[in-house]
Amino acid sequence: VGRLSSAKLAQLNERECSYGDGQYLFREGETGTEMFVIQQGQVLVTRKAGEEQISLATLGRGDFLGEMALLEGLPRDANARAVEPTRVLAMGQGGLLMRIRRDPTFAMELLHCLSGRIRQLNATVSRLTEEVHLTQKDHA
Amino acid sequence: VILAAHEERMVVVSDLHLGNPASNTGSTFRSFLDYVGTKGFALCLNGDAVEMLQTLFSHLIREVLPLMTQISRLRREGRSVYYAVGNHDIYLEHFLDEWLGTTVCPFLNVTSGGKRIRVEHGHLYDPFFARSPAVYESLTRLGGHLLLMCPQGHRVPPSTSNDSDGRHRSSEVSSVALHHHRAAEAVLRRGFDVVIHGHTHQKESVVLRDGLYVNSGTWMRGTYVEIDHGLVQLKQWVDR
Repeated sequence: VGRLSSAKLAQLNERECSYGDGQYLFREGETGTEMFVIQQGQVLVTRKAGEEQISLATLGRGDFLGEMALLEGLPRDANARAVEPTRVLAMGQGGLLMRIRRDPTFAMELLHCLSGRIRQLNATVSRLTEEVHLTQKDHA
Repeated sequence: VILAAHEERMVVVSDLHLGNPASNTGSTFRSFLDYVGTKGFALCLNGDAVEMLQTLFSHLIREVLPLMTQISRLRREGRSVYYAVGNHDIYLEHFLDEWLGTTVCPFLNVTSGGKRIRVEHGHLYDPFFARSPAVYESLTRLGGHLLLMCPQGHRVPPSTSNDSDGRHRSSEVSSVALHHHRAAEAVLRRGFDVVIHGHTHQKESVVLRDGLYVNSGTWMRGTYVEIDHGLVQLKQWVDR
């Protein structure tokens, strides 16, 4: 280990993976220790809601995914499936920390992305709450 | 915080150091801005445009006030003007969003012609700055006092490492440039096509494993980068 340069250590924690159309990067409920940055292609993120699979987002080049399982150490919260030939950069915990040290703008982009997703969720929660209230009113 | 923009045509200029005793670029830059306005480019000042560590107040006023007027005009004409923060103007990190009519950002991810282009000053990858930013700032300020006595003493890197178009001969890559290449590689791996830095004052254009790295050099030598529908080129300004 003493002879490994930091660049080589980073490579140990970062790898490029390719997925064919329809192949899953991960599935809901799985244990996940990596997050992904899309280098090329598109990934559809879905989640089970009752008996249905609902589509949460379609992500493209430069987008992040899978960071929740990595950051919180919890099972995957959604499914991620390539919808065309896709190449991603996969990184584990060590890789993420190493990357943030070597490429600090990555942390800023990650925060920006997470903030955008929270904003979207808030809007969805507000809309759904309004719909529930309207339905309750109609029933009353 | 603005981190991304879609601009089909943009020019990127770095290291003007307006207000530095060694800088005498204000007038040529003003004619360049006329060109930018006429041709309909967006403008990105990629760090160290306004000198804040080695400022000579009279220089600053003489060079920045006309610039402000021109930037306002560009904005009125509908052009976007971005300002990515560098190390000599790092205080602008407190003014992210708007300053002097520019959109201030820590770095900018530009999409043009379907290409993803990162524009960043690049001081974070200077090993000296990264290791000891406070010492770096103190020494830079000290250098400012020396420049008042000897304005010609401004650090001018050797130009022998670049061909006229800024392409390196492989055996002559400096260690500072190598740090920037590594940083660019890391960003390119995240799905970018091109990375543009400034900071080193060394113009260069290098094809790396995952994309292109371009350093705009310094406006004090008249170099800049032009983005046109995804095509990124290092250019030399000739005053018209």
